[in-house]
Amino acid sequence: MTLLELDNVSVHYGRIQAIKDMSFTVEEGEIVSLIGANGAGKTTTMKTISGLLNPSAGSIKFAGQDITKMKAHIRVVQGISQAPEGRGVFPGMTVLENLDMGAFGRKDRSGMAADIARVFALFPRLEERQKQLGGTMSGGEQQMLAIGRALMSNPKLLLLDEPSMGLAPQFIRQIFKIITEINSQGTTVLLVEQNANQALARAHRAFVLETGEITHSGTGKELLSNPAIKEAYLGVG
Amino acid sequence: MSMTDGPTPLPSAKAAQSADDREALTTAPGASIAGRKGKKPGSLGQRWNALSRQQQWAFLLIVVVLAYLLPVINPPILTTEPGNNFGLACFNMARFALIAIGLNVVIGYAGLLDLGYVAFFAVGAYVSAMLTSPDSAFLKIPYLWTIPVAMAVTMFFGVLLGIPTLRLRGDYLAIVTLGFGEIVRILATIIPAMKGQVGFQSVGHPPGTAADGTPIFTNSNGIPWYWLILTIIIIVLLLVGNLERSRVGRAWVAIREDEDAAEIMGVPTFKYKVWAFAIGASVGGLSGALAAGQVGFISNQRFDVYTSILFVAAVVLGGAGNKVGAIVGGALVSYIPDRFTAIAEYKYLIFGIALVLIMIFRSQGLFPARQRLLSYGRDAYKWAVKKDDGGASAKRTAGTAQEKGAQA
Repeated sequence: MTLLELDNVSVHYGRIQAIKDMSFTVEEGEIVSLIGANGAGKTTTMKTISGLLNPSAGSIKFAGQDITKMKAHIRVVQGISQAPEGRGVFPGMTVLENLDMGAFGRKDRSGMAADIARVFALFPRLEERQKQLGGTMSGGEQQMLAIGRALMSNPKLLLLDEPSMGLAPQFIRQIFKIITEINSQGTTVLLVEQNANQALARAHRAFVLETGEITHSGTGKELLSNPAIKEAYLGVG
Repeated sequence: MSMTDGPTPLPSAKAAQSADDREALTTAPGASIAGRKGKKPGSLGQRWNALSRQQQWAFLLIVVVLAYLLPVINPPILTTEPGNNFGLACFNMARFALIAIGLNVVIGYAGLLDLGYVAFFAVGAYVSAMLTSPDSAFLKIPYLWTIPVAMAVTMFFGVLLGIPTLRLRGDYLAIVTLGFGEIVRILATIIPAMKGQVGFQSVGHPPGTAADGTPIFTNSNGIPWYWLILTIIIIVLLLVGNLERSRVGRAWVAIREDEDAAEIMGVPTFKYKVWAFAIGASVGGLSGALAAGQVGFISNQRFDVYTSILFVAAVVLGGAGNKVGAIVGGALVSYIPDRFTAIAEYKYLIFGIALVLIMIFRSQGLFPARQRLLSYGRDAYKWAVKKDDGGASAKRTAGTAQEKGAQA
């Protein structure tokens, strides 16, 4: 079943067009990666899906429902959750409070408790650091917290904006492993990355973004072996 | 966040050790930066939190009783006499404290820099004056009734200002509120019904006469007014304290820390910002109505930008986001010029220097805020542990093993 569908979406910052007539779908249960260089429109795409930006044209459908005009905070309740670029952890709140904020729109205590347990199982480090302030954690820990917090709304679709940004290689591998695990637990993942290697290896399907347009699409493996992409994004060729 | 974005060591024994240290610090109420700076702010709050519930209540009770007795005792060194009547000085301290509590909701909790807060104070004062003063052409109602009316009207103005402007952020919002403050003052000058500099004489006051038949609430005696406003402060503190601990309070803190992140956590940020504005405004209006009653005279002369800045200084001085800090900051801003009349002329200079010093040595204010949102999260966690003790802990150990594998 199609979970997310972008239909000819355009986004403008003032007069500058950041995304041009973009269309793609995300099927339920998939990991989909968007890769591209700086300024290709990756984060803009994510913000448009989560509702922080409004498209100037086109429509977005989520689980069969048109959400083009829906406010961001309502989209969260509908099942779209985002771990923002640069992590966006609340620096003055503890780990537990950050996770708690992730469940802001929920009222089912028992479901929340189960999700806290799920997050702690995925990221044992967060459990160890529950009382630590978000702002005093390392980059990798903040990334874990951002993902964990996004999971606290029990989303159908998890949007991850550059989860590997600024992380050590060991951490990157670990984060991607956990993303795969989250996906295998039944959450659909849409991933934006500059780290094309990992993003393509982990994805069921992937799109390459260049200056606001999709230029290549295919399964992760296809794109990994595409010579043009190899040269442009994988540093070999 | 740039501080934490730098290269970070991978988890190791050393990192774990330092993390433990950090953890110890974070239990102190002296937020992230204060934690590094010094142990003093922490120890004060820690000592407070270490007290039992009964001890805390007993201590609060003593403080409240002393606060009520303050103008009667008229302590020799603290007193503002002979320069200024101490009862009136106490009233003004309490008035500023109340304003600071209201502004603290806007600046401290929701993180919205409002540089035109005096406008709400003015609206409250004018509502009270125009509904009680014989100089006004409006219908007259008893003074005490003007207080809720003033609150409602200022709340309305808060929403009115908030809806178009709260889409702006940071500096832009500050500039617009600055303009709003001036607009209200200028409107008071040009609208004939508001009587500009002439103003309104003999604004009403609460009823009640002493045994000898003279009214209790007069313009020259600040003490009954002080008791009235102190009582109101306690009520407002209880209400604001409850809000702070509720969902609303958590939403405000989230908005203050990262508005976009709050929005994608499902917080209707715009709605909560308007709420913060409206609640802050109504407390400002309340304070304005009380001030108008006490002084008995209102004109457009008292509502300038400087007063707004003084209010902001009170909040920042005390520690934005901390209601105790707001009270102390507000009281100090009013007390210092009253006590040291010789330097009252230089009060803006002194507050300027004080603010700079505070920013250098205690960047979180005299009483740094550490939002205690934990209780809710702790509940949720207890739930989690109780429910999933068997399955989850097994999963957790599996997860740890996996993590170690990934690091190796």
